[in-house]
Amino acid sequence: METQAKPDWGLLAARSRRARQIKKTLLIGFLTIVTVPILLPFFWMLVVSLSARTGGVESAVLWRACAVLLPATLAYVVLHLALPRRRVWSALGCLALAGVGLWVSVGNELHLNNYRFLITPNLIEDIRGAATAGGQFPWVWEAFVNSLWVAASSTVLKVSVATLAGYYISRFTFLGRSSFLQGLLLIEVFHPWMLTIPIFLVIYWVGLLNTLTGPILVLTALQLPFFIFIMKGFFDAVPWDIEMSAMTDGASRREAFWYVVLPQVRPGLLAIGVLGFIQGWEEYVFVTALRTGSSYWVMSTYLYYVAEDVMGVDYGLVAAVSVFYIIPSLALYLLCQRYLTQMTLGGIKG
Amino acid sequence: MAEVMLKALRKTWDDVVAVDDVSVTIEDGEFIAILGPSGCGKSTTLFMLAGVYLPSAGDILFDGIRVNDVEARHRNVGIVFQSYALYPNMSVLQNILFPTRFQKLPDAEARAREMAEMVQISELHDRRPSQLSGGQQQRVALARALIKRPNLLLLDEPLSNLDATLRLTMRAEIRRITRELGVTTLLVTHDQLEATTMADRVICMNAGRIEQVGRAQELYLKPDTQFVAGFIGSPPINLLPLPHAELEAHAGATLMGLRPETIEVAERGIPAEVTHVEPMGREVLTTAGTPLGPLRFLVPTAQPNWTTGARLHLRFAEDATVLFDAAGKRIDGATARWRKESKERA
Repeated sequence: METQAKPDWGLLAARSRRARQIKKTLLIGFLTIVTVPILLPFFWMLVVSLSARTGGVESAVLWRACAVLLPATLAYVVLHLALPRRRVWSALGCLALAGVGLWVSVGNELHLNNYRFLITPNLIEDIRGAATAGGQFPWVWEAFVNSLWVAASSTVLKVSVATLAGYYISRFTFLGRSSFLQGLLLIEVFHPWMLTIPIFLVIYWVGLLNTLTGPILVLTALQLPFFIFIMKGFFDAVPWDIEMSAMTDGASRREAFWYVVLPQVRPGLLAIGVLGFIQGWEEYVFVTALRTGSSYWVMSTYLYYVAEDVMGVDYGLVAAVSVFYIIPSLALYLLCQRYLTQMTLGGIKG
Repeated sequence: MAEVMLKALRKTWDDVVAVDDVSVTIEDGEFIAILGPSGCGKSTTLFMLAGVYLPSAGDILFDGIRVNDVEARHRNVGIVFQSYALYPNMSVLQNILFPTRFQKLPDAEARAREMAEMVQISELHDRRPSQLSGGQQQRVALARALIKRPNLLLLDEPLSNLDATLRLTMRAEIRRITRELGVTTLLVTHDQLEATTMADRVICMNAGRIEQVGRAQELYLKPDTQFVAGFIGSPPINLLPLPHAELEAHAGATLMGLRPETIEVAERGIPAEVTHVEPMGREVLTTAGTPLGPLRFLVPTAQPNWTTGARLHLRFAEDATVLFDAAGKRIDGATARWRKESKERA
């Protein structure tokens, strides 16, 4: 009679738990495998910069080092998932482990000679001897400061203009508002490099060729449409009520903007700030196109000339410059990661 | 505290007329409510008073002084929004103190604490708005609106985001606080219960125009227009088209209004057959088909209830009826009665 068997809930639950675990394991495994080819070049860069001598790269050293670094990274992944409360400690632990491992495996191959560009004002004289092309090639810190200036000042311009414009578009109606918005998107269709020659001509006529102001303005103009759009999205998410409330509370429109609206879009400001800075920091095309000769140096051109111009190719030197070049944007990205991920949501939470 | 006067106020957005010819005087210290369906222009009126919108025509006077062109921040008006509009980046105390940033008060901090005390949120000073419940947010918004001792307190649907019990409490609370401070208050709501329980007088608005201004009882018993009759009262009034063969009514009347509670079940009278029965707690709302048309009436729950299909007789007193003319205006003093009543009595 009662052969209509009751389902075995315990069995079903166990099965579903197992399925979930398998799925999770597969996912993590897949992501790890995909990550390895992305990470490897960075490890190589680091190891090459620390181990290569003028003769070239010892590939045995490379592989031995990566054999230490990769497991260390994987160990960090496991620890990161297993100990969510001790992430800083597990990171530091893995870093220390990797350091010790490197020292043991390739310790006697490591040296800092490739980083001598940091303290040698004239790299070319150092390599080729005095009275060659000296004076042509700058000290790396000059390029560093120039890059910093380009990135920082274009960021300030981008963020302030995008914020004000985004606010205005979000809050006011004006003739041609919708076509303006469509225009912003339309600009994104064209790759900026297509405009290289017209931009060169404009900058030439304006008389900003061979100055850092040229690339700063060009970079700002090229990235503004996208940033305005992002900021508009953030302002759209700030309710009107709050602003009206501030104004009836005695604030002027400007004060309401400053005290009440702006704090709500801070994640957006940080996001476009970081993106804008990194863009300016790594810019190569326009800083190259808008100078004739070597009127100014930035990090990207410095790196290019180290690779191409100095003497055959010194991989150790190139790798060392690359490591030095990557550190600021990496640090900035790590610090502001939280805000960058919020940007894709296009709004603010809570 | 001020007397507020609106004179032929009008607001248009391009071709759309949001508020049309609104004239009313709000006495000093009075609690008045604007009641109307969504889109009737009540919030637009409120925002014109606040100074957020500029009137297209007409005048706004605070204590006899025209303030049309005075900016919102100089009008000294407090406002509580439906969403409360608290500043998420500030603590409760900072929120309450915000208006004093622009208007120098000698003892702002002490006053803010006093306000917090009055709205009973003293223990929440350092919390963020996101950490508060709806009722607490409401209290903070009220304290913020009141700290600068406004000429006029504006409440824009302040209770509609609260649950039913809390709404009851806050209704009494808001009334207590405004009375304590004697502040002139304008409440905007679509909830008739909110308007009639809290306000001294109610302004009923429809399609941008004022339909009637008066005390709640006046609006209920003597609605000036067909709209007011239909909008106020729950369950809604019975509206029967006139002339009707079985009704003896004032000539020229096109509509008769009859409140459900004025209809009673009788031995003799209008024959009726019950079609719906809706228990509402204290009473049962019963609908019956009659020769006059469907009629809603109330039967006490304690009495034996009618079931669908039951046949019975209904009666109403002549002076309980209100009649409206073709323009929807009430015809003063006009009444209607069931024609056969006199014959049956004879």
